[in-house]
Amino acid sequence: MVKKIVGIIVGILVILMAMGCGRRDSAQQQRSVEKKELTYWCATNPQEVKLARELVDEWNRIHKDVPVKLQTLPASQSSEEALLAAIAGNTTPDICSNMWPGAMDEFISAGGLVRLDTFPDFWPYILERVSEDQLKTFQARDGGHYQIPWKTNPIMVFYNKRIFKKAGVKAPLETYSQFLDAAEKIVRDFDGDGQADYWMLYRDIKPIWWQRLFDYYPFYICASGGKTLFKGDKIDFDNDASVKVFQFFRTMYQKGYMPVAQFQGDQFLAGRLAAQISGPWLVAYIQKFAPEGFEYGIMPIPRPDDYKGPIYTYGDPKNISIFKTTKYPRQAWKFAQWLISRHADLRLLEICDQIPIRKNLLNDSTFAAYFKKKPQMTVFARQAPFTRGVDGVADLKEIFNAISQEYEASVIYGRRTAREAVKRAVKRVKVIREWNRQ
Amino acid sequence: MINSVIRRIKKSDKIGYLMSLPYLISFALFIAFPLGFSFILIFHKWNIITPMRWVGLKNFYRLFHDVEFLRAIYNTLIFLVIHIPLQIVFALLIAVLLNQKIKLRGFFRAVYFMPVIVSGVVITILWQQLYSYETGLLNLMLTSIGLPRIPWINDPSWAMPSIAIMATWKNVGLYIVLFLVGLQNIPAYLYESAELDGASAWQKFRYITVPALNSTMVLVVILSTIGGFSLFIEPFVMTGGGPMNSTLSAMLYIYNQAFYFGHMGYAATLGFFFAFIIFVVVLIQKRIVENK
Repeated sequence: MVKKIVGIIVGILVILMAMGCGRRDSAQQQRSVEKKELTYWCATNPQEVKLARELVDEWNRIHKDVPVKLQTLPASQSSEEALLAAIAGNTTPDICSNMWPGAMDEFISAGGLVRLDTFPDFWPYILERVSEDQLKTFQARDGGHYQIPWKTNPIMVFYNKRIFKKAGVKAPLETYSQFLDAAEKIVRDFDGDGQADYWMLYRDIKPIWWQRLFDYYPFYICASGGKTLFKGDKIDFDNDASVKVFQFFRTMYQKGYMPVAQFQGDQFLAGRLAAQISGPWLVAYIQKFAPEGFEYGIMPIPRPDDYKGPIYTYGDPKNISIFKTTKYPRQAWKFAQWLISRHADLRLLEICDQIPIRKNLLNDSTFAAYFKKKPQMTVFARQAPFTRGVDGVADLKEIFNAISQEYEASVIYGRRTAREAVKRAVKRVKVIREWNRQ
Repeated sequence: MINSVIRRIKKSDKIGYLMSLPYLISFALFIAFPLGFSFILIFHKWNIITPMRWVGLKNFYRLFHDVEFLRAIYNTLIFLVIHIPLQIVFALLIAVLLNQKIKLRGFFRAVYFMPVIVSGVVITILWQQLYSYETGLLNLMLTSIGLPRIPWINDPSWAMPSIAIMATWKNVGLYIVLFLVGLQNIPAYLYESAELDGASAWQKFRYITVPALNSTMVLVVILSTIGGFSLFIEPFVMTGGGPMNSTLSAMLYIYNQAFYFGHMGYAATLGFFFAFIIFVVVLIQKRIVENK
């Protein structure tokens, strides 16, 4: 009886294994007869998919020997999560154009990326496009280059011209005092119904780490004259600039210029917000969805009253990388060059309204017609050289999370002073960094 | 004769082993191996994609400097302090009522038990709507009788009590069943003789029901403590741990460390440390309740 049962189980296992092997064999055979192909992952927003589709089609018409298959990034909470999962599962594409520099450290440590400066024509090609200084900001800790600077989205302040005019406020608002004074004039009851008609600004009050990339971080870069959170490996945000930024937003909430609420729908386009912190992608969005007569302007991030010097901001860069799993690294590199060609950069501007990381963008005749047609985009192009990315340090997500928690406690709920909150954030980041050090 | 009996026993042993094989395999795969592996992880930093890196006791260094984890434990204890008494009081009262000979008794028993079997995520989403500051039913009821709105899950002081109320509502049915079983095991003659002695309803409850339910009480306290310590779905779905980390439970923090920040080793350290805390608390609780 026992022998019979064991026999049946073994028999089933053998059949299942044979079926598995057979399937694998046939899959391998099929793959071997497949032609060479590169897989390219792009971001999921419709404009970038349209751009990628067009560039891939053009490439495929000329390069029939190594065609490119386009896929959008798999659905996930963030593209970094999708890429990490792909590295873990060994299912990465050959090339991806949605690489956030803040997550590069993990990808590089995992040995998931091709070192690009090993290609003999890397330097001449890349330096023709990007300045050496800017390129350095994307250099890995091991001195290598694993990402091709592709596009930047300088974070600036959009404002509703009609609301500003109604309140008698003149743009641009350059300093914190000017911004707060304007908020005082704008957040008022104009129609006499007992409620303020507009908010000056709105930010999601949930302390999600990446929210800080659109309030604290660009304001900090601006207030500090272009600093990022770290100087090399050392914490560098334990300073007055940080405190001033926390204090500025704290005042905005305390005086009721920003609501402690969660809104559904776009309140800026609905005409309830006087200003919005965003990147150039908002231009295309406004053009598509804004109601008739909606007039807007764009101004730089406001600075502390005593700050002197150029106005910097966060650049929200997205870059291109080639994954180690590629069978055709040289061809992938060629395709990457195509994605950052002058023609592709022009289409990036035209289709996505995003700024390519390219020298002399405003003086290059290729792009002149575009900027003439969309003058508001010149504001971003002019700001582009004065942008900063994020530090290539480990656990950046958690570091921003620590800042977010303190931001929430101090700025939104007013439970601790700005200085105290910055101190606590630094202390927590120190623990994270100390723990991470070998 | 003896030989054939021995052969039969041996034979049945083999069948026994064979029958328990699925459990043994699943135990090895899903309990023993993860437990052993997470113990190894305690001494490593690992985010699944990069190679495991030996960090010695650094995960413990971080644990004892981690104010957010301390906050998460504090929150969990606050939750327990609110949740356990609420759970016991309501479960006991409703069980006593449902133990009477009332109409539709079976129906009420089923109704109270229903939330226990409904998905926690579904219930949390429903309660999220109820708690909504602007449009929630609870605030509409309050304003309709002239009372001010309550920022149930939008204010750091209110958020954890709100979650405790919801969790009590969801789980109380299970403890009602346990108390009902306990109540039905109390011999009727105890009440009859108390009645002959002229005991009031409260005296019968105080001096017969409560002492007779002592062992059930121990079970309920321990189960709701362990259940309370594993608070996860409610803050995960409803508040994400906010506002101001006021609903960040220890389990949610461990989950965030593992799957949001990719710190598998640190999460394992937190997990073991937290399991130790649960063990100590339950032990103390058991002693206290039993001595009573």
